[in-house]
Amino acid sequence: MGLTNVVRAMHRQVHSAVSRGTVNAAEIAHFSRLSSQWWDEQGEFAFLHKMNPVRVQFIREKLLEVAREEHEGEDALSSKGLHGLDVLDVGCGGGLLSESLARLGANTLGIDASESNVKIAKLHASADPKLERLSYVNTAAESLLESPKRYDVVCSMEVLEHVDNPASFLSTCAELVKPGGHLFLSTISRSPLAYFLTIFLAEDLLRKVSRGTHTYSKFIKPTELVAFFQKHHSSASADPQYLEHATLSRPWISPQASSVSPPRKEAEVRGLIYHPLQSKWLLAPRDAWGATDCNYIFWTRKPSE
Amino acid sequence: MQVWDGISDARLTFSASEIGLERPQEGMARLTENLNLQRGLLRHLEKLPEVQLIDKTKVQSIIRDTEERGGWPLVHLDNGRVLRARLLVGADGFNSPVRSYAQISSFGWSYDTQGIVATMVHPPRGAFQGPNTTCYQRFLPTGPIAFLPLSPTVSSLVWSTRPHIASALTASDPDVFASMINAAFRLPELSLRYLYNRIIEAQANGTPLTHAEIQQEILWREQSHSIDHNSAYASAVIQPNADVGVPAADSESLPPLVTSLQPGTVATFPLRFNHTDSYIGEGQGSRTVLVGDAAHTVHPLAGQGLNLGIADVECLARCIDDALQKGGDVGSYTALLPYAQERYLENHTLMSAIDKLHKLYTSTLEPVVWARSVGVEVLNEFDSIKAALMMTAGARDHKLNNAAAGWNMAAKGVEGLAAGVNAAKLLSGGIGGMIGMGL
Repeated sequence: MGLTNVVRAMHRQVHSAVSRGTVNAAEIAHFSRLSSQWWDEQGEFAFLHKMNPVRVQFIREKLLEVAREEHEGEDALSSKGLHGLDVLDVGCGGGLLSESLARLGANTLGIDASESNVKIAKLHASADPKLERLSYVNTAAESLLESPKRYDVVCSMEVLEHVDNPASFLSTCAELVKPGGHLFLSTISRSPLAYFLTIFLAEDLLRKVSRGTHTYSKFIKPTELVAFFQKHHSSASADPQYLEHATLSRPWISPQASSVSPPRKEAEVRGLIYHPLQSKWLLAPRDAWGATDCNYIFWTRKPSE
Repeated sequence: MQVWDGISDARLTFSASEIGLERPQEGMARLTENLNLQRGLLRHLEKLPEVQLIDKTKVQSIIRDTEERGGWPLVHLDNGRVLRARLLVGADGFNSPVRSYAQISSFGWSYDTQGIVATMVHPPRGAFQGPNTTCYQRFLPTGPIAFLPLSPTVSSLVWSTRPHIASALTASDPDVFASMINAAFRLPELSLRYLYNRIIEAQANGTPLTHAEIQQEILWREQSHSIDHNSAYASAVIQPNADVGVPAADSESLPPLVTSLQPGTVATFPLRFNHTDSYIGEGQGSRTVLVGDAAHTVHPLAGQGLNLGIADVECLARCIDDALQKGGDVGSYTALLPYAQERYLENHTLMSAIDKLHKLYTSTLEPVVWARSVGVEVLNEFDSIKAALMMTAGARDHKLNNAAAGWNMAAKGVEGLAAGVNAAKLLSGGIGGMIGMGL
């Protein structure tokens, strides 16, 4: 009963979003308060620091895999990885992911709705002479739609569970991807396990993460994420929610496929599991049972025109 | 390799064919002179255009950059250059300036022991003996003395002993020192104590012993212990053609007789146990990492100092490579943590084992000597346990298929067990026979 209530509440929230923006003022205030701690690797954001290499590993390996399949036999192309790609990091925070992507050769733009986050990110990057491919802007994703610039790769890590209107946010991110480009998202699933680990254990009991960082009702299941990209939101759609940003002119993932295991070349969901003894994050193998019940990372690809 | 007790003579022998190596003919370990190691490394660096070597330059100071510039370490050189380091690796030895910059504290103690190193010259092994490829180590109550072969006629010495004995030995004539090396591998402990005292007294009186005098003393000690002059344990009379003809029956148990020391190779250093609290600099000392002696110092009795350092460097290089693959900042705590996680406990385990070994063998207490000798003699009969010991003590290849090596060891263990059962049967037969005879 509790769960269905939560789902209903979330739907209400999704449907009641009136403004175009998806930025939640309370969330921004929360992270602005913590912004000075972004680069304390053993502090508030220790878990994110440890998670970052695994996220980058997933992004890099996925791009290499796709490049290998598309350019069979062409070694030079397939070994490029992120080099030279235009990458957008939505909700960059202190710039943990942005810096790593820039170091791998991507022309990276990090955006964040919190001014103090962007300040911290800029300050930290300015100390590192190897980050000339990196820039930051204090803005929301929606405002980037006004410029014609689109990106080879759009990432938004641990952001989806903090926005006000996930459907609108996803459409915005999707719109910012070039045709044939990639979208990477990581978030937390809405499951009893996720509640236990991320809220009860990490926030309430162990106090490893500030209380109020996560809101259970905002968590999103991987199947819901896959289902979103399976939908066809043409202008004839009856759902008023998507009228405003009817951006998925065609589905990214075959609608007839199961949302539990989408086709390998269209989407991938992998669990991120924290190993407390080794104090590091592990990327769960594909289709590992129960691995996506808490933290997970999601990839999908925009169809080429 | 042969290791024995200075008091009870209980002996442990290790050989490459016993420990399940893939290529036993290549031996279980290699001894390399520091000079050759350095030359090899420098030649390798020359091939890497990315590596810039700054020589004939000293580090004047290490200062932390301003907070706005990230607090990176600034290394000031005496030629006025300043290097801003993303990661400063402290591979700068026991008195590591990087460690003091990073404010990493350490714990440890000194052993009241000096290590003496020297390069020894000796005649080649005879036609009826094996080649000079065996290490010898005798655990004396003052500390172990080790003979490490380098070539057929040259070997390296590592002699750990009390500081007053070390200074007396190094102050005496090189030929007297060479005679004392031979004696230290051969004479009973009581006689060695007498010889040390003779040398110290003579030096105090201003009339240091000559080579002839020390040989006379050794000869006299040998006679009093009734050591036959044809035995390998005799060193007082060096026969000019000892290496021809049939060698003494026990010649393989002892190193060849040292005839001289290479000039300028004798050096001493104090021995200590030291381990830092952390390998990674944090806070004010961030972007630093310690490897080798900067992080840990051990007693040289097991010859593990260099091996630990090489294992550190191998692991650190792997971590850095891994971080680069994932776009990480190689100076960050996150990138370096796996290095500390992998090495700290492993180093500490081996270091403690070496420390305990030192304490065990410097004891002259009779029950301790008895227990360690029985332990060693029993251990010497168990190939699989010896193999396990050797695997951790350096004769190990990271790329070796560990599972395969493990199975080899297990198989050997089963064989050993079978042999043990046979031995037990024999033993019980013997006891039965004795009882029968007694009755």
